[in-house]
Amino acid sequence: MSELLIKNACVIDPLNGINGDVMDIAIRDGRIVEDVGSSAEVIDADRCLTLPGGIDSHTHVCGTKVNFGRYMSPEDMRAGRTSRNGSMHVTSGYSVPTTFGNSYRYSTMGYTTLLEGAMAPLEARHTHEEFTATPHQDMMANTLFDGNWSIMEAVREKDVKRAAAVVAWILSAVKGFAIKLTNPGGTEAWGWGEDVSSIHDTVPYFEVTPAEIIETMIRANELLRLPHSVHLHCNNLGVPGNYRTTLDTMNLVPDLNSRRQSLYLTHLQFHSYGGTTWRDIDSRSEEIIRVVNASPHIVIDMGQIMFGRTTTMTADGPMEFKLYMLHHNKWSNHDVELETGSGIIPVYYSKKSVVNCVMWAIGLELALQAKNPWQCLLTTDNPNGAPFVKYPEIIALLMSKRYRDQECALLDPRTEKRVPLMAIDRELDWNEIAIMTRAGQSRALGIESLGKGHLAPGAEADVAIYPIRTTEIDPSAQFQQVMAGFSRTMYTIKRGRVVARNGEVIVEGANSTIWVKPRVSHEYDLGNDPEFAKKFQQYYTVRMRNYPVQETYLPRGVCIETEADL
Amino acid sequence: MRVTLETKPRKKPNIPIEAESIIPHNFLRGTDLSVYEGNKQRSLDEIFFITVEGPAVSPDQVEVILKGDTGRIKRVGEYMNAGKIVVEGDIGMHCGNFMSAGQITVRGNADAWLGREMRGGEIVCHGNAGHYCGAGYRGEKRGMRGGRLEVLGNAGDFLAEYLCGGEVIIHGDTGDLPGVEMRGGKLVIEGSCTRPCGNMSGGTCLVFGQVHDLLPTFEKRERTQVDFRGMNVTMDTYHGDVANRGKGSLLVRSGDHA
Repeated sequence: MSELLIKNACVIDPLNGINGDVMDIAIRDGRIVEDVGSSAEVIDADRCLTLPGGIDSHTHVCGTKVNFGRYMSPEDMRAGRTSRNGSMHVTSGYSVPTTFGNSYRYSTMGYTTLLEGAMAPLEARHTHEEFTATPHQDMMANTLFDGNWSIMEAVREKDVKRAAAVVAWILSAVKGFAIKLTNPGGTEAWGWGEDVSSIHDTVPYFEVTPAEIIETMIRANELLRLPHSVHLHCNNLGVPGNYRTTLDTMNLVPDLNSRRQSLYLTHLQFHSYGGTTWRDIDSRSEEIIRVVNASPHIVIDMGQIMFGRTTTMTADGPMEFKLYMLHHNKWSNHDVELETGSGIIPVYYSKKSVVNCVMWAIGLELALQAKNPWQCLLTTDNPNGAPFVKYPEIIALLMSKRYRDQECALLDPRTEKRVPLMAIDRELDWNEIAIMTRAGQSRALGIESLGKGHLAPGAEADVAIYPIRTTEIDPSAQFQQVMAGFSRTMYTIKRGRVVARNGEVIVEGANSTIWVKPRVSHEYDLGNDPEFAKKFQQYYTVRMRNYPVQETYLPRGVCIETEADL
Repeated sequence: MRVTLETKPRKKPNIPIEAESIIPHNFLRGTDLSVYEGNKQRSLDEIFFITVEGPAVSPDQVEVILKGDTGRIKRVGEYMNAGKIVVEGDIGMHCGNFMSAGQITVRGNADAWLGREMRGGEIVCHGNAGHYCGAGYRGEKRGMRGGRLEVLGNAGDFLAEYLCGGEVIIHGDTGDLPGVEMRGGKLVIEGSCTRPCGNMSGGTCLVFGQVHDLLPTFEKRERTQVDFRGMNVTMDTYHGDVANRGKGSLLVRSGDHA
């Protein structure tokens, strides 16, 4: 029995309605409890900001495409090297660091749970192997269904139950967490050298539209009672004028779930562009956020970009090709048989580029104009918009108008006419930041009941104590302290154990992987379905019995079983 | 000030030495420097007999002379910004990495990555240079950006890969793919080479010897006259690499290429 007592913690815990109360937190055996004995180890938080462990609801840190990003950029690997130190492994890399690099850097920023944004089912084994090498965070994997042949056939037959059965089998087989749609239909069309330019274009051969795929999957998701909603990367990412596609998509969404959103739209910054070409691109964040504010069944994340070097990686193959045509730099494109694709390109976001300046402004505008912080979460779509180590800067930008003005003065002067950012005075408070970085994620991902994202007795003892006294600093003027404070926790506590202290990782860590297993009736168990088995015999290079990821790949798996309506 | 570093005999002379600390600037504050021999840190006087003659108040008055078995010493002159380095014998890999000013003379042969990503200054190698002379390191988009690099002997493969600026002159022959991915600057090869300038997007390359296997993605233009050691030489001009919308020029001595 291990006990820990955090004294004098200034707690912000939005899920339990605690906002800045100074209190003690008792921890026993990795869970938060009412009180502990007198022999418990004591940490004095000294009235510093104490939050539930951070949760990143969309990041790319593990899997084959991340690894491809690593080996196509040896120059990135030469940046950010740290040497072995006690139990810390050697790390290297800046925008796509090694798995331990990711884990340690997240840990020193107080993050304890991550959702890998896109895992191709066929490549799940590799992803799970990298999860076990990301020791300080509990991991989940969004599983890609955007170009899955069995799904598209079910969509063509208008058979929601069949689509749900396919999702159920694949999610259980690959130990995934949620349904991810990346440019639904578009990646499959890209296999034919085409793309879709609106949600009503048809995909070659399958003759289905992105709108049909999205709607069927939202309904299938609810049939399976999955903890998270459909996680959507809209069509037309990064195309000037794409805000219309985004609005069309948001108007499709039925409100089907009372506990959480029915659709999670990721990195919306990349989907809020007006104009017709790169020359006249402008911000349409106002149109987008008006719909979000009126649709409580939608949750978005920012996908903020930050200036500097990074690597873009996505399952959206055609989009990466367009990006290559702009940069003429090294690039890669992959096809994942019967399922999806991917592309990777290193990029540099520059303050001298008016396009990049508009992108930067849109991300912030989304967060500042969203009335309800539970609906707009803080991400950079790491590493697409920026490496996650930039989160503290983004927090400072959201909390300080003065800092934003200071940064805006450095932008391309044409930016001002194209974005509303300069006219927005709102400054977010500590509570809103806590929602946007942990509580909101916990609710949107449906892992509140696992004890994530809050600090009530019974919750998982994931705690981050930042060296910030909220009563003593004015974030509007002292944004430098805000940035420094959020970059290095005093203590990061993972499952009741201090894993990082003052920016130093001190223990090895042992994470768990959270996955979902929907229980379906015999009739809808595709393990017995000859049609489904035929896909493997005829098309896949992998046999059906070799396809599922064995449980040995998840040394500490946490399975959420759901009772599906099938 | 003249600093002479003469190698001491080593038990295992094949273990490489990482000597990025050997630049003229560092000797202004004495010779208390360290280098790595394999994974062991050594002080400079464990590796070299050191003699210092005369005073210096600025780095450009410092001349460093390396003598003895120097062929395994890497990264000499890395980030050098002034002064002079003379290597009496051979030098190891990465000599003159990122140097911005000053002068390096190698009297023997240089190993790979000589003048990698150099930005200015001058390197003269009297012997042969290894592979990737004046190139960009793995994954880097820009190789040598300025300065002058002259090799009196031959150079290896991938000479001046990703060349962006400055001048590279090779008096002898080169290996495969010199000037590949070249973006700017000037590359002069007085001897022969194979497959020059693949994927070049800018800059000028002149070859006065034979070109073997000229890539098919170069467009032939009109002939021009070029002055070469006081002689008027007729050169075939090529434009390319058209496979990647390149705007570079490749000039090859007329009639001499297969």
